[in-house]
This record gives sequence, C-alpha cells and structure tokens, in this order.
Amino acid sequence: MRELRSIGKSAWRKDGIAKVTGAEQYASDVLLPRMWHARVVHSPYAHARIISIDTTAAEAMGAVCLTYDDVPKVRYNERIVSTPPHLYRDRQVLADKARHVGEAVAAVAAPTERAAELAARAIEIEYEVLETIVDPEAAMRPDAEPIHSSVLLGGTELPIDNNVAVNRTIEVGDIESGFARADHIFEREFHTSRIYHAQMETKSVVCRPEADGGITVWPTTQSIHNVRQLLGEIFSIPLHKVNVKRVAIGGTFGSSIQMNSVIPICTALALKARRPVRLVSTREEDIYDHTRYETRIRLKLGVTDDGKLVAGQMEALADIGAHNIQAFALLSVLAGWWVSLYELPAMRFHGTAVYTNKAPSCAMQGFGNPQATFATETLMDEIAEKLELDAIEFKLENYVGLGGTFWGQGPSVQSIVQSDGVPELLRVGSDKIGWQNRPDPGSQTGRYRRGIGMARGFHTSGAGAPKPGEVIDYSGALVKINEDGTVDVVHAMMDHGGGTLDAIAKIVAEELGVPVNCVGISPADTLTTVYDVVTHATRGVYAGGGAALKAARKAKAILLDYAARVLGIEVDALVIEPDEDLCQGVIHCPSVPERSITVGALAKLCQTNSWGSIAAVESLRQVNAPPAYVSYFIEVSVDTETGHIETRRVVVGADCGTVVNPAMAVGQLEGGLSKGTGYALVEDAQWDPETGQLASRGYWVDAKIPSISESPRLENIETYFADTYEPTGPYGAKGVGEAATNPCAAAYANALHNALGIRFRQLPITPELVLAKLRAQAGETLLGGQTAGPASAGSRGT
Amino acid sequence: MTSETDMTHKTLALEVNGRVVETRVPAHRTLLDALRDLGYVEVKRGCEKGDCGACAVLVDGVALDSCLTLAWTVEGCSVTTVTGLGNRTEMHPLQEAFVEHGAIQCGYCTPGLIIAAHSMLSENPSPSEADIRNGLSGNLCRCTGYTKVFDAVAKAAGAMREAGETS
Repeated sequence: MRELRSIGKSAWRKDGIAKVTGAEQYASDVLLPRMWHARVVHSPYAHARIISIDTTAAEAMGAVCLTYDDVPKVRYNERIVSTPPHLYRDRQVLADKARHVGEAVAAVAAPTERAAELAARAIEIEYEVLETIVDPEAAMRPDAEPIHSSVLLGGTELPIDNNVAVNRTIEVGDIESGFARADHIFEREFHTSRIYHAQMETKSVVCRPEADGGITVWPTTQSIHNVRQLLGEIFSIPLHKVNVKRVAIGGTFGSSIQMNSVIPICTALALKARRPVRLVSTREEDIYDHTRYETRIRLKLGVTDDGKLVAGQMEALADIGAHNIQAFALLSVLAGWWVSLYELPAMRFHGTAVYTNKAPSCAMQGFGNPQATFATETLMDEIAEKLELDAIEFKLENYVGLGGTFWGQGPSVQSIVQSDGVPELLRVGSDKIGWQNRPDPGSQTGRYRRGIGMARGFHTSGAGAPKPGEVIDYSGALVKINEDGTVDVVHAMMDHGGGTLDAIAKIVAEELGVPVNCVGISPADTLTTVYDVVTHATRGVYAGGGAALKAARKAKAILLDYAARVLGIEVDALVIEPDEDLCQGVIHCPSVPERSITVGALAKLCQTNSWGSIAAVESLRQVNAPPAYVSYFIEVSVDTETGHIETRRVVVGADCGTVVNPAMAVGQLEGGLSKGTGYALVEDAQWDPETGQLASRGYWVDAKIPSISESPRLENIETYFADTYEPTGPYGAKGVGEAATNPCAAAYANALHNALGIRFRQLPITPELVLAKLRAQAGETLLGGQTAGPASAGSRGT
Repeated sequence: MTSETDMTHKTLALEVNGRVVETRVPAHRTLLDALRDLGYVEVKRGCEKGDCGACAVLVDGVALDSCLTLAWTVEGCSVTTVTGLGNRTEMHPLQEAFVEHGAIQCGYCTPGLIIAAHSMLSENPSPSEADIRNGLSGNLCRCTGYTKVFDAVAKAAGAMREAGETS
C-alpha cells in the first residue's frame, strides 16, 4: 500500500482557531434582526393534570403566548433513527399532562429575555396533582397511577399497562440445556445510576419564519436532517421549505440524538409571533430535560470447570423516565452489547422499560454499553477469581473476536468481526500496569490499600448491517474540486468536538492526493446536503468518512478523465500527489515526468473550456458495524478510614483500526476516562420520591462532575493503540469515541476488589459506600441507614 | 421607565477589549448578559451560578465569572474576553497552545479556560502542577478529561516566559 500522507498524522483541527478566539458560533450565539426571546413555563409537579392556563396577564405585557391549544396535535417520537414500525410516539410540542418536573406546559416570546421571563411568570396554571412515581418497580404495581394511558406505535394506538413502555425477549440456542451443561452458575444483581450528560452548552435553538411560509432553524442537534423531517411533519411544512443549519455543538454525549423539545416549541412561537425567536435553556431546565438510562440488571452466567462459558441470561429493568425516546432500541442494545462481549452458545435476554415521573432518559455515551459492560466485566472478574483462573486468560478464551458475530446494535444489526486487536490490547496493557504483580484480593491490612483491576469492552462503529433492520444507518457526501485546486466537502454530519469532520477532511485529502489544508468542510444545512442519519453510535469516521471516501473516489475519477484528455496520457497511468508548497495536488505520470498539471489548473481549464464542474455526490450504507475494542487497566489506592479512592495509574488501550488523527484519538480516550470515572465514582442524580424533584434542584454544584482537581496526574495516564486494519472501513479505520468510557466503571470495581476483597455491584462507588462495605466486611453493625449515605440504595448487588 | 432619572437603570461606559462601549443596563443585569447583549457572544453562558466558569472574563486582568458579577460593579474597569486576547492572525500564546496541543474538543468551555489560565499566569508565571490545578479548578470541561488542557497551559506558560510576556 502507498504511504499515507494525511491519515495517521496529527494536525491542527480546522475549527481550532475559531474556538480559541471566540469566533465559533453555537445556537445561542445566533443573533438575527427583529429577534425575540422565548421562555418556557415548566411544570413544578412531577405528575399533574393541567386544569387551566391563563395567559391574560402575560399577553397584556406584550408577550406572545403558547399553550397546548396552540400547538399541532401531532404525537411524535423525537428520535427518528429507528424505522417507523419501531417508533413509540408519546410526545407533543407542549404536554397535555405534566409527567415530570420540568415538563414544558406553556411558552412565551417577548422582545428581551427579561421580558420573556416576567411574562412566563405571569402565566397562571391550575394543576390537579397526581401520584408521583419515582421508583420503576413501584411504577409497575397494578394500582400505580398510569403515566401514559396509550401511545402510538407506528401509526397504531398501543395501550400502556402497568407503566411498562416496552418489553423485549431475545433468545438464541436452548437456554435450559445450556445451563445444564455448566459446572458452575453465577448469578448477581447490578444497579447502575442515573446521571446527567453535563454537556457544557445547554440545549438551544433559533427559528426564523421565512417569507415563503417556510422556516430556517439553528438548533443544538446531532442530526440536522432528522430535525428537518420532524418539524416538517409536526407543522405540515413541505421539506423544501424547512432549512436546518449546522452550528457548532457545545457537547452532547447523546443528549441531542433526538430532536430536543425546545426546538418545536421555539418553532411554534416563531410561527405565531411571525418573527425570529431564540430559546436558550437554563442549566436547571437542561438538567430536568435528559439523563442516562438507570438500569437494574440480573446477570447469570454458566461456565464449565475449564473456564468455558456455556450459557447466559440477563434480565434488565430500565427506568426510562416520563417519555419513551428509544426504549425499544435500548433493550435491543443491552442484549447486543452483552452477547457481543463473550461467546454464549445459549442466551436469553429479557428487558423491561418502565415509565416513571422523572426526566426522560436518553442515550448517553455508550447507550446501554456502560451498563451492560459494568455488569458483565465485574461478573467475569468474579468468575475468574472463584475458578482460580487468570482473568485475562479467561476473557481471551471466551471473547467475541475475529470471525465471531458482532451484534452490538441489536439482533438486526449483525456482522462478522474482521479486525481484532484484543489480544494485543490485553497483552500490552497487562505489561504496562504490572498485572502479574498485583496483590492478592483482600490480602492487605493497612490504612491504604492498593489494587489493580482490568476490564475490556468495545463500542460499535455505526449501525450498518447487510440486512435492513430496525435502525436507519447511512450517510451522504458531496465532494467538489474548486478552480484553484481546493476542495469542498459538503456533508451533513455533526462534529461533537471529537474531530469527526477533521477526520473526514483527511480521508478526502488522502483519496484525492491533495494536502489536507486545501480541503474545506463546508457550512452545512439541510437544503444543500444529502441525508446523514445522525452522529451517534460512534459512526462518524467509519460511516460518515466512508460516504465521503465514496464521493471522493468518484470525483477523482472525473478529475483523472479530464487530466488524461489534457495530458495525453492513459488515465490508469496517472497519479495525484500532494504538493505542500503549492498547497494543492499535482497530477502526473511517474514515467512521463515532463507532463503534469495541478489539480487547480485542470479544474480551471475545465471551467474556462465549459467542460463542467468536477464534483460527485454519493450515499453510503455501511454493511458492517465493526467493534472498536478498548481495554482499561486501573490502579487505585483506597483510604480505608475515609473511603477515598485515589486513581494512581490508568492504562487505556484502543483498537480503532487505522488511527486517522492520533492526537484527537488520544483525546477521546482521555475524555472517556474522565466521564467513565465520573460514572464509576462520583455522579448520581438523586430524586425525591415524594416530589419527583432532583436533590440538586438542577444546580451543577450539587450534581458534581469531575473537575481538573480530581483528575489523575498527567504522567499517570497512558494510552496506546493496537496495530489493526479494518478492511471495511475508510483506510482501515473504525470508531473510537464511545468505546472509551464503556469498560471504565468495571475496571474500577475490579481494582477495588483487588485492593479490598469486596465486590461493588452498584454505581457510583462513593466513599460512603466503600466505608459501609468495609464495615460490613469487618462484621460491624451499621449505624443505621444513614451510614451508607445516599448511594447505598439498599443491599442490591451484595 | 427609561428616563435618565430612573434609579434602576444606568448608562455604563465599559472598556471591553480596549474599546469603550456604552450600554444602558438595569441594576440586576449581570456582566454576562450585558456583554452578550452587546454582541460579545464569545462569553459563554454555561450555568449562571458560578459552577462552570464558561463565562469567565478578565476584569482588570483578573478572571471573574461574569455570571456572578453585576455589570454596574465593573464600571470604569477594563474587561477582556477571549477575543480580546488574540485573533486568527495574531493568537495569544495560550490560544496557540490550546490548538497546538489539542486542548479543545467541543470548544464551549475553551474561552473560560483560556481566561482562567491567563489570570493565573499573570500572577504566577511559573506555576507548579498544583498551581495549574488550582487555577483551573473553577472551570468545568466535559470533553477532554483536562489532560490536554493541563498540557497546553504548562507549555504556554513556558512560551510566555520565553517571549517575556511574563517574568
């Protein structure tokens, strides 16, 4: 293979200077003439019927008001990534009934934010308060107040019984005879927490009605095209009159896969006010808007004496909050991640997703994978310990690798693993951390106890598969050669900040043979781009980059056809190579060095001769979804007097195929460690069971995420990449982003077991929980329920 | 209620990024809102409670959360936003270091982080690791895990000492 010029080399990100000089534009920075400002009126109650809304006073103040009566009576599902038959529609632009604290029940627009705030406060709403249901098990009791009486599934009315949004059972092989073959059966319960995405930018949007009856929208979103289609459907506007523009997103971590609820509210206000309207969520509103799925998982694994897994069963209860954004998909992936970790000749999964009166749950970095991997990797570590097997050897004996079937995204998204860096990841990681020298579990007695733990995992690269399934997955791109040799890439993909669009520029530069500096990522909107489903499922480089590569190949073929004509050389004899000094590509034939032409000169010739533009547009559905593998080795030191856990060393390895931009890929691993550490040790959104309010009341200071003060020292974090090549990916690349957090919590739990001889099966593992477990281990009587602190959550998992 | 005798409003002359701007604001208007209303949207609104540091600006060289600062209280002061530190053709060493060392992902926290780092380095040009942690502890970043931010600030401190910007 020829030497790569752009791919594999670290480069400045294209939006870097804009971001450090404050020039980058996010949704809340869009300023338009005649623009008004919106505020939303939220329910202070977790569950309440709306008896009446009086907007007289607000209207007297000059505000434009919006209530349920004003909005289209269209029930929608905000995440149109699942195919239509699998969409559960329970949302409207404004709620007919409040189902969680913070649910939008009315909205106003006024000339200033202050005027909008005052008008919002002047709206009088009479509620009939209903029973608040915070606990998912309580929600399923026959006498529990129904949160939704029915929803639309596809186009059909679906009654909701016992607040169960969806059930899903998946079976492969004969589970009974599978467990009958097992010499040992392990069964444990795990509880994972409900945490806030904590993206730095709150959800925001600007909407401008246009003279032709259409709208232009600048939203916080991971998919401009899905926002367009939903707004068109809800407001009955033909799609050619709905233009959704890409603006930078200040982090999302999954929270904007769906069309955010502020977007149609702002649109309705703008249409009613007949002027541009901006709606920027406050932090409190944002914290009450979305959360990671909390799960309770009962996991059972059967294993033979010689360490071969023979059967597995997972029962999962997912708390989805007040709306079903993607519960069906969540249950699919919980099963998929789990069975794609280790080969199970027989498996059974049963999942139940339950409505509660809390903020709606949605995907958050890993989408079910951090939960499934925490349970599986903690139990695998325990089985290895009990059977006196080395955990690494035990895992290597059983994992799904090269030639295995990967179906992380659920049973309809199956493909064969074609690149596998797991053995290398585990071998290198164990050498770096000193795996063989770790202490025996529970062998230490001093105040500070050291432990080393490991966990492995992966994330998918996209949701493509050979067969059409339950998930939509494809991307499109336009590649255009300009008359000076620069290149426009017109692509609807969103960049969360990980550098997806930079990777796409590198892939195009590599294919065309031009320097990456002369490839521009065009501003994007839905009028001028072809469809891209959404930046999620770690699909940016693999699927979005794949589509750009396909378009670049076609543009290159057109370019070389013209070059052959101009140079009088056979097309197959021509190559394009980047010339950094000229800042463009040069087309030539190595054996006829006197004949060459720059890409720019050729494109200009095509234009002046009226031959036409050199451009190509393509869509691509990837027919595989390769796993990007990750391994974590963590060394901790535990203060047994305070319960404080110090992260002493972390070794994170990733197999993402060809590493397109090494510096940015390392950035993904470091960010994944930080978020994974928050999930493992710190973050926990606690809800008052009586009021359905957050204990933090929406204040970040009481909903803590890791700051620089708690981060491990620089020199104690080591990252590395496996040397692999994914044959189905652009230049051998697959994903990395979400994979980086998935095994982190289990690695901490296993390290703590190594240090203390205690298993932790619930998150977060707070100092209070550590102390409670240490006291229980020492046989001391707990000093009442308070000792374990808010994270105790009963005795689950013990 | 907009007359000059109105005690709840005041016309302020602020020096922002070296330019004097006049704005009429009520007593309760935060510096964050006043600046954003004037078009300085590089000052980011993250939490409006002083939890995240995204809105930090320099007031007479010292980083303050503009969401916790009333606009009236900085009358006559010199206010600097991240845009005032440098631009595309002439970046400040901190800005250059953030790009060079990949300390940016989504970029929303970046203006506040650079301002906080600037404030720390003008008081302490040779910060220890603990000094950097302390100086940036009021700024949240959800993307990077802080590793590259730490690296960029340490490298910028060296570059600024060499350039004689700090001593």
